[in-house]
Parts: sequence; C-alpha cells; structure tokens
Amino acid sequence: MKIRSEQFKGNVRKQLADEALQSNLSRFGGGFADRRRDALVKVDDFEALRDRGASIRAEVLENLDYWLLKFEAEAQRRGTQVHWAETGAEANQILLNIARNAGVQRVVKSKSMVSEESGLNEVLTEAGMTVTETDLGEYILQLANEPPSHIIAPAIHKSRDEVSALFEKHHGTPRTDDIPSLCEEARGQLRPHFLAADMGVSGGNFLIAETGSVTIVTNEGNGRMVTTLPRVHVAMTGIEKVLPTLEDLSAILRLLPRSATGQDITNYVSILTGVRDEGAMDGPQENHVILVDNGRSRLLGGDLHDALRCIRCGACMNHCPVYQNIGGHAYGWVYPGPIGAILTPAFLGLEKALDLPQASTLCAACEVVCPVRIPLPDLMRVLREKELTQGLRPWHERLSIRLWRWLALHPGWYAFAARWGTRLLRGMAGSDRLLHTLPGLDGWTEGRDMPAPQGETFRDQWRKKQAAERKIIPIRLDPSPSEKKAGLKK
Amino acid sequence: MRIGLFVTCLVDAMRPSIGFASVSLLEAAGCEVTIPDTQTCCGQPGFNSGDRPSGIQLGLAFLRDFEGFDAIVAPSGSCIGMIHDYPTLFKDDLALQARLNVLTAKCYELTDFLVNHAPKPLSPGRLSMTVSYHDSCTGLRQLEIKSQPRFLLQQTQGVELREMKDAEICCGFGGSFSIKLGDIATQMADKKCAHALETGCDAIVGGDLGCLLNIEGRLRRRGDPHTQVKHVAELLAESLVNPQLEKS
Amino acid sequence: MSARDRILERVRAGLKRPTPVSVARPDRSLAPMARPVSHLLNDFIARAESLQSTVAQVANLNAVPAAVAEYLQAQGLPRKSVIWPSLKALDWFSSGLTAEARPPVSEDRLGITETFCGIAETGTLLLHSGVDHFSTTSLLPETHIAILRVDRLVERMEQAFALMQSELDQLPRATNFISGPSRTADIEQTIVIGAHGPRRVHIILVG
Ligand code: SF4
Repeated sequence: MKIRSEQFKGNVRKQLADEALQSNLSRFGGGFADRRRDALVKVDDFEALRDRGASIRAEVLENLDYWLLKFEAEAQRRGTQVHWAETGAEANQILLNIARNAGVQRVVKSKSMVSEESGLNEVLTEAGMTVTETDLGEYILQLANEPPSHIIAPAIHKSRDEVSALFEKHHGTPRTDDIPSLCEEARGQLRPHFLAADMGVSGGNFLIAETGSVTIVTNEGNGRMVTTLPRVHVAMTGIEKVLPTLEDLSAILRLLPRSATGQDITNYVSILTGVRDEGAMDGPQENHVILVDNGRSRLLGGDLHDALRCIRCGACMNHCPVYQNIGGHAYGWVYPGPIGAILTPAFLGLEKALDLPQASTLCAACEVVCPVRIPLPDLMRVLREKELTQGLRPWHERLSIRLWRWLALHPGWYAFAARWGTRLLRGMAGSDRLLHTLPGLDGWTEGRDMPAPQGETFRDQWRKKQAAERKIIPIRLDPSPSEKKAGLKK
Repeated sequence: MRIGLFVTCLVDAMRPSIGFASVSLLEAAGCEVTIPDTQTCCGQPGFNSGDRPSGIQLGLAFLRDFEGFDAIVAPSGSCIGMIHDYPTLFKDDLALQARLNVLTAKCYELTDFLVNHAPKPLSPGRLSMTVSYHDSCTGLRQLEIKSQPRFLLQQTQGVELREMKDAEICCGFGGSFSIKLGDIATQMADKKCAHALETGCDAIVGGDLGCLLNIEGRLRRRGDPHTQVKHVAELLAESLVNPQLEKS
Repeated sequence: MSARDRILERVRAGLKRPTPVSVARPDRSLAPMARPVSHLLNDFIARAESLQSTVAQVANLNAVPAAVAEYLQAQGLPRKSVIWPSLKALDWFSSGLTAEARPPVSEDRLGITETFCGIAETGTLLLHSGVDHFSTTSLLPETHIAILRVDRLVERMEQAFALMQSELDQLPRATNFISGPSRTADIEQTIVIGAHGPRRVHIILVG
C-alpha cells in the first residue's frame, strides 16, 4: 500500500477540514465503544480473560520459531503448502506464482490486512487477473479506489449516501438511502463472483500450530465463501498470528469479538485444515498459507516486542480520541490508531512515520481496553525516545527539552525563570487576561487562547507569606550536585 | 500527619490559587502542610517527549525533596501518575527502586487523599453553582480518580453536579501534544467544551490544571467569557469560607 | 539461505537462543462446569435467540419434518430443500416437503443440516465438513435449518474441541462455528441481517 504516513500533519489538516468525514466520524465513531461496554456487562470477569489472552500471546512470542515450525509441519502433513515471505513484495510474488501455476483468472478476497501491506490487488490486476474484494466494507472501498480507514470496519468513514452514489456509478442502480437495500445489492453483485472464482485469497486471524489450521473470523460469511468455493485457497498472514492449540483459540475468541464489535462471538469462525477430502463435494483442492514477515521478526526481543501480541481487534482505535477526530486515513498506512502509531514506524522505519508516535495524548484509553494488554502508551513513549536519541526531532525541540530539564534540576534558576517568565506572560496578556498569540507556540494559539498566569508564582507568594508569618524563612537556592548526591545516600 | 505538598510546575507558574486552595483543604483535613522549596516539576513534560533522563533525574530530585514526609499530595492526577511510574525507571538499581516504591506508595492525588487517606474527613462548606466535572486521563485510568472529586462536590452545599457526555474522554491536552498537533487538540477541546456547555453548568471543573488551561483556552476562543473553568480544589476551598447552613 | 531460514534466523536472534527442541504443550483446558443439561439448554436457547437464530424443540428425529414444515409455513417459504444425505431417511414427504440429498446450487433457498454439537456459552452451532457433510448447505441457501440433538450440547468451545478429538480421526477440512444468520455493519455501523451467508438460521432441537 502506498505510504502516506510521512505527510501525517498534512493528512490531519485535510481530514479535519473534511466536513463529510467529520460528520461520519462523529455519527458512527462511538458505536463500537458502546457495544463493547454493553457486551462486557454480560461477562463475569473480563479482566481475567484479558490476563489470559495477554499471557497466551506473550508465551507464543517467546517460542515463536518453535510454534511456526510446528504449524508448518502439521499444515504440510494435511496437504497445505506453506510459504515464507520476508517482505510484502515477496508475498505477492509467491501468490502470483501460485495463481499462474493454477491457471487462475478470477480471484475473490476476504479481508486481509497483510495483503493491504503488500498491495496485492494491484499486482494481481497488473498480471491480468480480476480481483474482487468481498467484505462489504472492502468492496465499497475497492469501488471507491480508497484504502481502508479501520482494521475491522474498513469503510467506517463512508456514509450511506456515498455508498449509494458508488453503487449507482458502478452497478447502474438507482440511489437509495435504505441500508438493507444497499447490503442486498452488494450480496446480489458479489454472489456470482464467489461462484465463478478460481482462487480465494483470505487473511488468517490465527494459525493453530498443533493442527496446522488457519482460522478465519467473519460476520458476513464471505470468509467461508472464499475458502470453500474456489478450487484454490491462499491465506496470507503475519508470522506472529500463531497460537499453540485450539484451547488457546477458544480463550482468544472470548476476547476478540467482544473487544472488536461487542459481539459475544463472531458469526462465523472457520477452522480450515488441509485440502478437500477425497470424495468430498466442496473445499479447495489446493490450499496455501503464506507466512509474511515484513518487519515483524525485527521487533522480537526488542522494546516493541509486546506490540506483536496484537490480535487486530480494533478496540484501541475505537476508543482513541485522536483516531475518532482524524479518522484512519490520516495515519497514512494500513494500521491506524494507537496500534498503527506503533506498527507503522516499527514495520516501515521510524523516519517514515515520525509524527505517528507523537499523535497521542497518552490518555491510555487504548491501553485499558486492549484485550491482550499491550502497553500502547508506553510503546509510543519508547518510539518518542528513539526519535529523540536518534536525532530525528527538530533541533529546537531537542534544545528546549534539554534546557527545560536543566532548569527543572536547578531549583534556584528554575524559580528565577518561572518568576520572569510569568511576569512576561502577564505583561503580554490583554485586559481579558488571555494570550491570543504566543511566539513559537502557534500550535496552541491557532485554535485556543492561553489564560495568562494569575500573578506571582506560587512559591514566590508562599515564601512571602511564610516570611510574614515567620514560619520558614531561609530560601534554599539550588544545592550543588555533590549536595544532591549526598542527600540521596542514606 | 506531615504532608509534603507537591504544588506542580503548572500551578506554580500559572495558577497559584490552586496551591493555596490545596493548603487550606489539607489543613482543614487535619494535616500539617510543608512545601519543600526546591521542588520544580515531576519530569513528565520531558519524559513524555521521549527524554528518559528527565524522568530519572527529576525522580531523584523528587526523592530528595519528599522522602521524609508521612504522605505527599499534589493537586494533579497526572503528576502523581508520573511519580508512581518512577520505580519502573530504576530497574537496574534495586535499592533505589525499593526506596522509590516506599515513597510512591504514599503519594496521593489531592481529592483521593482527602476522601480516603486524610486524618479527618473534610467537610466542605457552601457555594451556589452548577458544575460539570471533566475526568482527567491519568487520574482516571492510572489512579482511579472518579468518585472522589464528585463525592466532595456533592458534599458541598449548594453545588449541583451535572454529568457531561463523554466526561471520561480526553480533552486533548496531552502536554506537548497540544502544541505539536494543536489542530487535533483544539478539536478535542472543542468537543469537550460543547459537551460541558450542554449541561448548562456555571463552571467546568477538573483536577488537572493542564486540562483546565486547554479547556478554558478553547472556551474563551469560542467566545465564551463567562463559563468558569476551575480546579476542584479552588471550588472546595472557596466553599470553606461559607459554613454549611442547617437544613430546615 | 531461503526466506524461511532468514526469517527463523531473525526470530532466534531476537529471542537470543536457538529454536527449542520441544516446548511443553500449554495446558489451558477448562474443566466443564458440570451443570445440568437443562441449564445448558436454557443458556443455549437464550443466546442463540439473542443472535437472531430462531429455535424450536421436538421430542425425536421423526418429528423434525413436521417442525420444518411448520416453520416454513410461518415464514411463508417454499417447501423445497436440499439436505445432508444423513437426513434422507426421514419422512419429509408426509409433511409436504421435497428434500433432495445433494450439495446446493446458488439458487436453492433452503438447506437442512445436522449439527456436530451446540455450544451453550454463545448459542453457537458447530458443523464440520466431510464427504456427506456439504459445507455449502449451511452457506449458500438463504435459510439454514440446523438439527441439533439436545444431548449434543456442551458448555464451551473447549468441550466442543474435546468432543471432536474423541470422535473424529483428525480435524476435518473445515470446522465451522455458526452463530446466527450472516450479518454486516459495514455501512454506518448499522447491523443488517443477511450478508453473504444465510438470512435465517432456524435451530430444531431434538430431545
Ligand atoms: S493493539 Fe490491542 S486493542 Fe489495538 S487492535 Fe491490537 S489487540 Fe486490539
């Protein structure tokens, strides 16, 4: 997928100014959070489930190579062909070869975020095949020629009117504002594609090591169609998606749909193992899994390791106030929201997404909902630290942080700076005691005033008050570093 | 009980009245309040910008300033949240970490302290106003500050508390975020103002000055010179001046 | 070196150790809650209905065709169905139904299947593929009727897997957990029943 994360700030400006998008975001954005909350009421101890989910995913990562090899062996035993791809481009090439060898013309896809990473659709189309996205949201976006803006509700940024306009243009059907009719229309349009397809491409929500299976979770049933009807099925998924056993899957499935859409369970959970049985009437004759790395293995054992626990439920973006204001496209790549602010720089390189780890108030609304307890704010802070230590922040930012820290460590100088700083600000404020502009801080004053300091600093006033009351008089200036050290030794 | 008051850098510079209000409230709750003069900042602005040394060095300074008290209180959930994170920054020095663990276990956000840990319960006085409370993020999610300020406000005679929609959603402050990505912060603050104003309150109340500056800054820019934006400590301290009336 | 080797090499480097020869199988089985069948049944029905499945109950297998006919009548649906071959022996004819034991084509409007087991925790049906168990019967027709024996109800997904393990030689090609009719909320977050799969799921409990 085309990378636009470098232009984050520009993307944000565009998204904030887009009235239709803003209206769509405020109308539909909150739905998932409400549904999740309602779903949790029915569960005894969701926090315990989250602990379990987090430890399952953490344990998998500890032995990722072992579980991947186990998965490979079991899958092969059942006749599934397992391929490994270091990059998205490599994954596309593998898939293209599979398609060519099998004489594939028509491809149907169910949602696969990894194929968004790799830009698979363009590659297949260039090779002369027809590719049809079958998840309703993805289908809408394919017609609109847009990338997804959410990992589980790809077209959440579109209104029914926009969908209807697209359908009118592409299907020649009259406009309607009736959502069920639009869904019905998509069903009618897509059914023939399922029936005619030679190849189904899916993602893989989970790989089960012990059984060599791929698990696919969908509500619409398109995942079942794509993996049942065409003669070739290829699942393309990230190497971190493995789970050791079916019991682990059960535990994770108690978390995923509740966290994602507030459903107790997704409509269809399909565990796919191997190829069509001899004498059976359905199922693919050829089954492939492409295990895609694309930057993941680099994170193992490092300070972003925990991000690999992610099960792509989308809860972090559903609860992220920043995401809810700017929408998914602003993030500029496949994964938006808090997890995107971590994965995009982690997979693509920090220099490609400098603003993303900064795009958070660290409010932790994501952290408290993440079903596998990824410490998302901490990981964003880790990335901020890397930006700073690798000299990737602007010089004035680096300088002001150092200056500020030095001052904060020297109370005498700090008090001096605070005294004169507040005096200056008070002098600059108007009779309304507000600062309407602040040199160097137009990021603040473009949209907000800054209330001026109230008066002398607290400590100046306190000292005077204390002196007047003759309680504590001595004003301690900054202790020397040796004093400080001494103070810390017992 | 000897309390060390951590005033916080923002209160020190921008709104000392919150500091004085905190002192009155703590004294009214039976505490002896000391304000170490060498305190500056908890380190969060630097730390959250990716400067780890800010957290580490100011953590040590905080230890120097506050280790001797029975309890340490700050009128900010955000700063107390940062302080509670200090021990994680000293994973390589177990002795120091242990000392910090002891220290941070007795560091409280002001309203939490007043409700749950003070030597004697605070009895707020009387005011006449309608307020709506904004939950600041760190206090809410890290320290579970939710019922404490509301309890105190409800104890105050004549104060009517009206909940705003999405009270728990971030106002957009986020320290340097509010400058680096000011346009997003502004829109977040704008929604916060709108939700608060829908309640028809006289004052938007919160427990963290950062959020209050952000909210007030947006409110004034929207052209509202009237609605007050206050720290919960200020309101409570003002109420102390007017003793409660006997209910007839 | 192949891509596979390079990826595994990076994994090992990240984890700072060679690939372990063996890792103990994590045991995360959950003991069944050992609740009476009536509780399971009540839970199952309540949850299935909350997922917009409809549920009927009959005493024995022979009563199924009449229950199907009744359902079709109430819904105003044609009395023509494709069924799994294992259901051929039932007397569909007397209830005025035509039932063809073959895989469905896209035009078929009703598919009737058996169910491997039902999961009370979520009101879910477990169906698996096989030579005589066409996956498409529960997928292509707009109405899916599932016949489920009450003694095949289990508490949780873990027990369903355990049941499969004890009764089947190996995991079938497709194990499908079905929880209600297909749905989508991709337009304006509005839930619409009937996406690509069935629009109606009717469960006939037997026993
Ligand atoms: S980071 Fe957590 S909340 Fe976000 S998508 Fe991944 S699992 Fe879900």
